Amino acid sequence: MFSVIDVRRWARVLPSVAAGMALAGCNLIEFSPNDHRVPEEFTNLTEKNLARLAAKPLAPGDTLRFIFTGDSQQFYDEAEALVASANQQLGISFLVVAGDISDFGLAREMQWVDEKLRRLTVPYVTVIGNHDLVGNGRPTYQHIFGAFNYSFVYGNTKFIMVDTNGREYNFDGTAPDMAWLRPQLANADGARRKVVISHVPPTNDDFDPALRLPYVQALRETPGLVFEMNGHNHSYSITQPYNDGVTYVNSDAFSERHYMVVTVWGDKQFRIKRVKF
Amino acid sequence: MKTLLLSALLLTGLRAAAITPPDTTATGPGKTAAAAGRSARPWYRPTHLALQTGGGLGMVATGAGYEYAKGHIDTDILIGYVPKHYAGSTLSLASLKFLYSPFRLPVGEKFQVTPLTVGAYFSYTHGTINDELKGQYASDYYWFSTDTRYGPLLGSRVTFLAPPIAATGQPRKISFYYELGSNDLYLASYLNNRNGGLGFGQLLTLALGLKADF
Repeated sequence: MFSVIDVRRWARVLPSVAAGMALAGCNLIEFSPNDHRVPEEFTNLTEKNLARLAAKPLAPGDTLRFIFTGDSQQFYDEAEALVASANQQLGISFLVVAGDISDFGLAREMQWVDEKLRRLTVPYVTVIGNHDLVGNGRPTYQHIFGAFNYSFVYGNTKFIMVDTNGREYNFDGTAPDMAWLRPQLANADGARRKVVISHVPPTNDDFDPALRLPYVQALRETPGLVFEMNGHNHSYSITQPYNDGVTYVNSDAFSERHYMVVTVWGDKQFRIKRVKF
Repeated sequence: MKTLLLSALLLTGLRAAAITPPDTTATGPGKTAAAAGRSARPWYRPTHLALQTGGGLGMVATGAGYEYAKGHIDTDILIGYVPKHYAGSTLSLASLKFLYSPFRLPVGEKFQVTPLTVGAYFSYTHGTINDELKGQYASDYYWFSTDTRYGPLLGSRVTFLAPPIAATGQPRKISFYYELGSNDLYLASYLNNRNGGLGFGQLLTLALGLKADF
């Protein structure tokens, strides 16, 4: 079956093949699926995407339009289709994924999702979801995407991204971090409108029950709040569950093969178009 | 249960690692001595020590193993370590590997190539940050385990045959191996995307290691 010469050749070649593979992908040598060693291009993605966004400011008076979606977890086929569809939309400034980027809180998953979403013609931003916090997801998300709570201003609108995955902290009163959120809601940073985006909606059992009322109340008292947006439910809805004038928007998951094109103008006018892909 | 398993693996690994190789400079060769030396080995004494990096089993993993079926089957027990710098918390991993190598090819007198080794591993990780407190989730809230991983392995080995131990006549060998592997979660992700959403290469991990018989 094998001649001695073949074998000798293999014996010579095998170590160099192995060494070549080691060089080709150092992260092929995975210490643990829970380690977060990824190439530099897959780190600090939030900061990098926001820098791309800031480089293309919206002209004053232009209507702000973005794509809203959530829960990309394990839906790589759908991610490809979503990107292809989103790239056909005109006048879009960015795309938002409302948490659960990954399913298991693993670095490779976050890298795989980024490999899909970086093919968007626009930048994208994320907020952390409960699945992103599993295992060593906390330092992993921090390393690959960035802060769990952050805000940015674009198109005269302040976007406030907040971690509401209370159950992942065993409802210890830290998520949502109201001490961070309250001043964020109070200060418009020069914008006309505000939008709050988080993963777990306050109506859900995975939201810290002790913080539900303070959160809902803080939103109700926020001037210029267009709406609050969530993922987690894998189901599209636009409701006012507390009958207090605050609109809550829930995204489809990637698996539902729908996303929303959200248009915002005026003080707090908006239009949402659900798009099938 | 998890703790029990971990401590059992740890104990076996430590006991194996604590056994030092016999004195190789001793004299007095002979077939009878060899036979006596080998049969005198207690049944639980490992046949080899192992040291590896990667494969999802640690930045460094070390342990011991047993050979059965004339060297066609290996069982390795490894204790692995990942520093906090790379994972956000210090991880210790206890792993069990089963390997089957159907054939070996001699290359000269001093080398042997094992072109194909197939197998599977099971690992338990201690030290993850968020791995479920009592009552944190309803049962089956997450369908997967954070700390228990398993997956297939496929690799090769090059073995250097050292001169036998003079005192006992026991053959000695040192092997370099590599193993390509994956885990249950990566494979599940692949299988849930049948339209090519993930490439097979994206699932792979690589382990490089050494095995020394003693």
